Amino acid sequence: MAATDAAALKVDKSAKIFVAGHRGLVGSAVVRCLRSAGYTNIILRSHSELDLTIQSAVKTFFSIEKPQYVILAAAKVGGIHANATYPADFITINLQIQTNVIDSAYRYGVKKLMFLGSSCIYPKNALQPISESALLTGPLEHTNEWYAIAKIAGIKMCQAYRIQYKWDAISAMPTNLYGPNDNFHPENAHVLPALMRRFHEAKVSGAKEVVVWGSGSPLREFLHVDDLADAVVFLLENYSGLGHVNVGSGKEVSIKELAELVKEVVGFEGALVWDGSKPDGTPRKLMDNSTLAKLGWEPKISLRDGVVGTYEWYVKYTKQQ
Amino acid sequence: MTVTDTAASKLDKSAKIFVAGHRGLVGSAVVRRLRTLGYTNLILRSHSELDLTNQSAVKTFFTIEKPQYVILAAAKVGGIHANNTYPADFITINLQIQTNVIDSAYRYGVKKLLFLGSSCIYPKHAPQPIPESALLTGPLEPTNEWYAVAKIAGIKMCQAYRLQYKWDAISAMPTNLYGPNDNFHPENSHVLPALMRRFHEAKVSSAKEVVVWGTGSPLREFLHVDDLADAVVFLLENYSDLGHVNVGSGKEVSIKELAELVKEVVGFEGELVWDSSKPDGTPRKLMDSSTLAKLGWEPKISLRDGLVGTYKWYVTTQ
Repeated sequence: MAATDAAALKVDKSAKIFVAGHRGLVGSAVVRCLRSAGYTNIILRSHSELDLTIQSAVKTFFSIEKPQYVILAAAKVGGIHANATYPADFITINLQIQTNVIDSAYRYGVKKLMFLGSSCIYPKNALQPISESALLTGPLEHTNEWYAIAKIAGIKMCQAYRIQYKWDAISAMPTNLYGPNDNFHPENAHVLPALMRRFHEAKVSGAKEVVVWGSGSPLREFLHVDDLADAVVFLLENYSGLGHVNVGSGKEVSIKELAELVKEVVGFEGALVWDGSKPDGTPRKLMDNSTLAKLGWEPKISLRDGVVGTYEWYVKYTKQQ
Repeated sequence: MTVTDTAASKLDKSAKIFVAGHRGLVGSAVVRRLRTLGYTNLILRSHSELDLTNQSAVKTFFTIEKPQYVILAAAKVGGIHANNTYPADFITINLQIQTNVIDSAYRYGVKKLLFLGSSCIYPKHAPQPIPESALLTGPLEPTNEWYAVAKIAGIKMCQAYRLQYKWDAISAMPTNLYGPNDNFHPENSHVLPALMRRFHEAKVSSAKEVVVWGTGSPLREFLHVDDLADAVVFLLENYSDLGHVNVGSGKEVSIKELAELVKEVVGFEGELVWDSSKPDGTPRKLMDSSTLAKLGWEPKISLRDGLVGTYKWYVTTQ
């Protein structure tokens, strides 16, 4: 259905909305987007104010605050190294957050809940582009199976509550995200922020070259987190189905194109060198976004514009550190 | 390794062992087996004494009791109809029980935890016999995917705690179980107790026939719950590794052979009629139990003996 036809379903602008995980990449973007869209009654709790892994604290919060909508963007996230070192944290913390929030949201009168996951819920060797139906059809990527199992359980909880209680719970699964508030940590950042940081540091230090692992040929999809937040609000306003929904840009770039774009945006004038002896990673990873497209949503931020804006944010942010 | 080689690794008979779910089919059999083997320091809590879905109650229990071993046999279980009607209960209650017990067990000094699941963790179209490696290689059976996803998460939690904390958590996945304390409910029991009840009621009411759905040709594997309990104690005493372990009997019977055997054991003298217009269900379901066999364990109770004993129990208690 198109956004205009669904005006009648739109969420009341004064509705109380709890955005769990509002400090993270996704949560902070969702808060920005809700505020721009005129939603003013947004409830936020930092980790120290509300530990979502504590069942009784979550129950108390919901019984007192009684939000009408919940966007569950709080999670224990991290890269390959973190998942490999702390698998118990990745599976348990995420299961606890999800079980507590979804169950209490249902029991304390929340009208609708949106659960966020990521593309790593899908099988390692899923057909590309990856459609929602690929879920649980094959083995997971071993390096993030702990996080993936927890997120799959979250999707299944939402479906189960819809079936048993006719309660409105939906799930959205974004592709690789980037943007302000991303993780730029030198050891565990994802590829786009890692490249941005490395080119920036090379520019600032006058380095002659930046060496990037692999051949540059793998294809990847990126979505600016402000587009993701827009899709989240769109789905909250327009979608109440059983199936989880992929959220991607539908646009692929090679790692080589990405690296060259980031180098240009950052303004690094040295050489970009490819170390072809190092591994490439999976050859292609692209989500099938036709479900969301048929609902009438499309992304607005081009990769170039998104990288430019993110770099502006990064420069300001690093100056403040 | 064989049982005799591992005498040194056997648990101290006075060790404090918490059997969660001690009233269920599996938990009650585990308690019986532990007691028979001389484990005397068992901690048991009914649901009303300790609600395992309550995180703070579970934490409090572990800080006070500090068991050294935990056998996690508590779960929300049920048949096809129950899973279809209460999917939220099946996924949430099991996730809560598991997350609370496994995490608190680790944090409060438990030496070793054994987590129990079932064969429905495996893909609907897994190769037969089903090896442990079939896990997550294909779509689940939709009618029990809620329970299955929760149980898979439990297996993965045990593996994750072993990897991150070097903590001794293991998982055992039994095949279809039967025996005393099973569910004989007329609408939602599994095939073996359902047949037993129906033949018994037909005998008692002198019915002329019992009609069973399907052709009788599907193949199934059954394990007496006392054998499962024996395997559980064996694994607790002898196994400390990352992979979950299948526990099966390795013996297949057709539903036809099963029905005829149950009819004979119960002593129903009327007709056994097959309604082949009704569906058969999956053609074959057998676990690959070679991992456990290589460790030196094998079941002891034949299907006939097991049915005889179960029927005796049924008649005296139901």
